[in-house]
Amino acid sequence: MNEKLPDSPDWTRREFLAGTSAALVVAAAAAGTLEAQTPGAAPAIVVDPAVPHSTIRLTVNGVARDVEVEDRWTLAELLRDRLGLTGTKIGCDRGECGACTVLVDDQPVYSCSNLAAWMDGRRVMTVEGLSNGGPLTPLQQAFVEHDAAQCGFCTSGQLMSATALLKRNPRPSAADVKSALAGNLCRCGNYNRYVDSVVAAGGGVRSSAGGGQ
Amino acid sequence: MSTLVAGPQSQVAMPALNTVGHSTPRIDAVERVTGRAKYTNDVQLPGMLYAKVLRSPHPHARIRSIDTTRAQALPGVKAILTHETTPVVWGAGGIAGGQQYNDEVKKITKHRRYAFNNPVRFVGEPVAAVAAENRHIAEEALRLITVDYEILPFVLEPEAALEPDAPKIWPEGNIAVNNRNEPLPITQTRGDVHAAFATAPHVFEDRYSTSFVHNAQMEPRSAVAHWDGDKLTLYTPTGGISNCQHDMARDLGIADEKVRVVCHYMGGNFGNKNQNQDGDLITAMLAKAAGAPVKLEFSRKEDFIGMHGRWPTVQYYKVAVDNDGTLQAVQLRGYSGMGPYRKNSGAIGGIELYRCPNVDHVVTPVYTNRTVSANFRGPEFPQGFFGIQSMMDDVAWKLNMDPVEFGVKNMSRMFRDEVPFTNFTLEECIRRGAELFDWTQRWRPRPGADAGPIKRGAGFSYMLFRSGLGMSSAVVQVDANAKYTLFVGVTDVGAGAKTTMGLIAAEALGVPLSQVTVVWGDTDRCPYSVGESGSRTTIMTGYAVMEAVRDLKQQLAEKGMPTGSQTLVAKASPSPRLEGKVRNAFGAHFVEVEVDTELGHVRLTKYVAVHDCGRIMNPLTATSQILGAATMGVGMALHENLVYDQKSGQPLSAGFYYDRIPTHLDAPTVEVSFVENDDGYGAYGAKAIGESGIILSPGAINNAIFNAIGKRLKELPITRDKILGVLA
Repeated sequence: MNEKLPDSPDWTRREFLAGTSAALVVAAAAAGTLEAQTPGAAPAIVVDPAVPHSTIRLTVNGVARDVEVEDRWTLAELLRDRLGLTGTKIGCDRGECGACTVLVDDQPVYSCSNLAAWMDGRRVMTVEGLSNGGPLTPLQQAFVEHDAAQCGFCTSGQLMSATALLKRNPRPSAADVKSALAGNLCRCGNYNRYVDSVVAAGGGVRSSAGGGQ
Repeated sequence: MSTLVAGPQSQVAMPALNTVGHSTPRIDAVERVTGRAKYTNDVQLPGMLYAKVLRSPHPHARIRSIDTTRAQALPGVKAILTHETTPVVWGAGGIAGGQQYNDEVKKITKHRRYAFNNPVRFVGEPVAAVAAENRHIAEEALRLITVDYEILPFVLEPEAALEPDAPKIWPEGNIAVNNRNEPLPITQTRGDVHAAFATAPHVFEDRYSTSFVHNAQMEPRSAVAHWDGDKLTLYTPTGGISNCQHDMARDLGIADEKVRVVCHYMGGNFGNKNQNQDGDLITAMLAKAAGAPVKLEFSRKEDFIGMHGRWPTVQYYKVAVDNDGTLQAVQLRGYSGMGPYRKNSGAIGGIELYRCPNVDHVVTPVYTNRTVSANFRGPEFPQGFFGIQSMMDDVAWKLNMDPVEFGVKNMSRMFRDEVPFTNFTLEECIRRGAELFDWTQRWRPRPGADAGPIKRGAGFSYMLFRSGLGMSSAVVQVDANAKYTLFVGVTDVGAGAKTTMGLIAAEALGVPLSQVTVVWGDTDRCPYSVGESGSRTTIMTGYAVMEAVRDLKQQLAEKGMPTGSQTLVAKASPSPRLEGKVRNAFGAHFVEVEVDTELGHVRLTKYVAVHDCGRIMNPLTATSQILGAATMGVGMALHENLVYDQKSGQPLSAGFYYDRIPTHLDAPTVEVSFVENDDGYGAYGAKAIGESGIILSPGAINNAIFNAIGKRLKELPITRDKILGVLA
């Protein structure tokens, strides 16, 4: 089939996919780090025309996109496997852990528990969109300085929940942070560090002792 | 308790270093906060298939037949494996008995664990695996496989499994065999406990038990396998790329160099990712059968029941003491539930920390029809220290003694009262902790004395943990631009190993960390490393880094800096040994709790953790290790338990929600303090850190709860119903 992408009438889906993956490969190579040797980023799934599917228009990290999605895809599948935004992690795929938290119209949501098809007309932001290749946000910088990420697998979700918190409450207390991030589990148990990071990013004073710095 | 003096043994001169010992953000911190860090499931290869595993719904059953014809016929299905098609032994899965398995063991062992077993012996055991064009087809294919099971009787609890009429999980019986096929308990005896029990003025007995707690790292198990001719590349979350490579090669019957294992980032380890896993084997064999790359993804429930967790224990203690509180005898009869395969020892640690002339310690590892138990952070100690330190806290209270004084009086200053430690700082850890915590103010001489429904209390516990030396390797090279590259076979399970290795190299080289590039996580590029288990990486691989740098510096002195495109390369594989001494890390935790006696709710209002981890390489990440592990221990103490339905043998709480791992709202503020020293061993005197922090939480919390409410809890986890139960 020769599907046209509505916002780029001269491109077939195949060309669009090829172009996207080439761009991502170049970006990875330019980073020049060891991670660039880990294959990734190329779209891993494509729409099976035999199953119900739809075309949605959404904004991802500030860029408007028209994407064809299977109706059964979750938002996490769309982001990770179709758009190559693997910074969003899947920890449970059933709304228990918060590792997959992204912002939809500035609200933190579990991307594993939202269907991609529901994102038509919505604005999605993932961890990749925080600094968008530029300098780190103050929150990301605070995460670096406070050693917020141990294994790092829950970190994207913690960042997104904290970003939403700071938008509605720029100077949160430790109690505010714990409450806002209660849906983001961390098995490394690094909660003290996360709370300290978010409080510091809001300009507040370190709350948890932790010590050792 | 008014005089708090440091233990004299720990006063070791320790001059400050330039790079080591200074708080340094991780070298990959930016990758971790921007989503650029690539974990196994982020790997996507062209033409990659998706794999799913069909798992046993029964705790014990013989497979009469498996019919895969309908699944084979489903369009998009590329390969199906079962025990009939794929009789491959998963060596690290069951015949280890707590030791690295080898060819001899593999040959003789009777209780073999295959990638697919028949009979199946626990709910969740793999029965078949499918690779298909996408994950939806793979899931559909699982539904089309028909398995005819002959249901067998099952047993879930270790003591019940030792009853004469218990269902036999293996023909030889339910005592787990060691790697010589012997059904022997783990024993340690000295003196004569029975004589002491007959004559001592005070003898106390009690039973403590601990639950199956799952490692539950945030990253669910996944693997990506790809064959290029006869060479396998395996992307997998493993804490030991070298061990994983070797295990895969052995299980598949190919040479080590035909296996490349890559793990650049992984979402937590905590002990159940040290070697190869059945998922790795299954993925590699599916990729071979399908002739295409394959990605396997576990669901969270599969991760809970398909990956091992901490062995549950039952501990019967009998303790004899003199009138002045001096220990005369300690006896332990322990039973550990191993699941149906012995993936690790099933030991129960802790008694060795007490000075005592008469010890009788018998622990029996027992097969059960539950998910397999093996390593989980500090494998045998959190269970053991919960039991023994609750027991000793109780003995101190019955003798009307302050438990801190009782502990200091009875701790062993020699390993098993026989072998000297390289240094001994436990008393200093305890004294400093008591001071930071304000023990004399917070501990209630009369437990449960607070008026009103909310009662406060304080508890403490202390520990040791092995910090031995051993073999590892490192390679360091320098080019003409004075750029240093360090090759180490570490992965980063979350503790910050690659940053630590970089710091050690920079220190030894006398250059800034920014001048050192660290290459890690790839067996084709890195030398052997011991693997990130047993809290060994900094001690062993760190020391290899120092030795490699020593060699490189010597080469530089002889040959000068390389020029043009030349490089100088140095490799070291040291195997340092301790003669006549034992090397241990020490620690003490002090906890204050607030117990709501109407709701049974426990809140941690103060938490002080003091540790001797030798010299601290990076205070920033070392502190994270301790406070994170202590928080993980809170979950073990208060919430976590893989609950089984006794009638059906079904696991009921597999997943984050019902297992209740700690959240932001449960985490105490942990104050961490290090008793630093350099005993002259390891990398700049580094000792174990990663596992130390979790060992003490359950015991300290339980003792604090006793101090608050005046009732002793004896079973983990200490859930609200149990607290309300003892108060009723």
